[in-house]
Amino acid sequence: MNFLYIVSLLLTLNNSIHATSRHFQLLDELNAGINGADDRTISWGLADDDDNTLTNWNCVIIGPPRTNFENRIYQLRVRCGENYPLDPPEVRFVTRISLHGVNEDSGVVDPRSIEAFWTKHSSIKQLLQNIRKWMAQKGNSNLAQPPEGSTY
Amino acid sequence: MAGLPRRIIKETQRLMAEPVSGITAVPDEHNSRYFHVVVAGPSQSPYEGGLFKLELFLPEEYPMSAPKVRFMTKIYHPNIDKLGRICLDILKDKWSPALQIRTVLLSIQALLSAPNPDDPLDNNVADHWKTNEKSAIEQARQWTQQYAKASINNH
Repeated sequence: MNFLYIVSLLLTLNNSIHATSRHFQLLDELNAGINGADDRTISWGLADDDDNTLTNWNCVIIGPPRTNFENRIYQLRVRCGENYPLDPPEVRFVTRISLHGVNEDSGVVDPRSIEAFWTKHSSIKQLLQNIRKWMAQKGNSNLAQPPEGSTY
Repeated sequence: MAGLPRRIIKETQRLMAEPVSGITAVPDEHNSRYFHVVVAGPSQSPYEGGLFKLELFLPEEYPMSAPKVRFMTKIYHPNIDKLGRICLDILKDKWSPALQIRTVLLSIQALLSAPNPDDPLDNNVADHWKTNEKSAIEQARQWTQQYAKASINNH
């Protein structure tokens, strides 16, 4: 057995450890969401509480202060596929928003923006926190916004 | 497998060598902490004739913390919710490292024989059980027919 073979074996092993614990991680995330997210600037829960595959999530981000998003409520749909959390979730804004990295016709968040920070240890909470950080960044914070509450 | 505690290896060997009647638990080929479990519905319960798929995961802290267990097959039971989560004291505050995977699975099997609507996880199902036990049991039977046969065949 050469070194690379062992490394690739370990990687496979490590990957499947996370893939097989997908449900339990998502159940933990669900509990964390119910117990409330720290400062209530973000929230997440199952889109359908009968969905025992734990795939589709409804999420909310409250726009950060001192930005054009301030006090606005942004709804998002997050889809955690079969290989979550190895593969990042698919994310789409339901509430209309003007934000770099978000398709202005569909509200879909560019997967590359998510892949840029996503690791197998990431969570929906971190995802939402990251998006909220983008909103506060220079170049985003002062973008002209669609009428409040409009949806895609 | 490197790094797998002796305790888990021992338990797994015993589960394979002396399986519990009505229960199969097979470790995942890639992850020895993850078990594919099938529990047969106990006779004289509304789950009789059904085969229920569960998943069981031994967290890093096991046996200091309890295994994580979840029903994957839909089941109509006052102590099991729509997401398959199980209300069982030994999986929570009554966990002790003296317990084992085997004991946990036996307890789950016993829970199927003796639903406890006074300590509910799913309030709707529990209310149904308390107000009209006969109709609730009938519903549990129907769900067993509908979900606990197909779900095994599909895999």
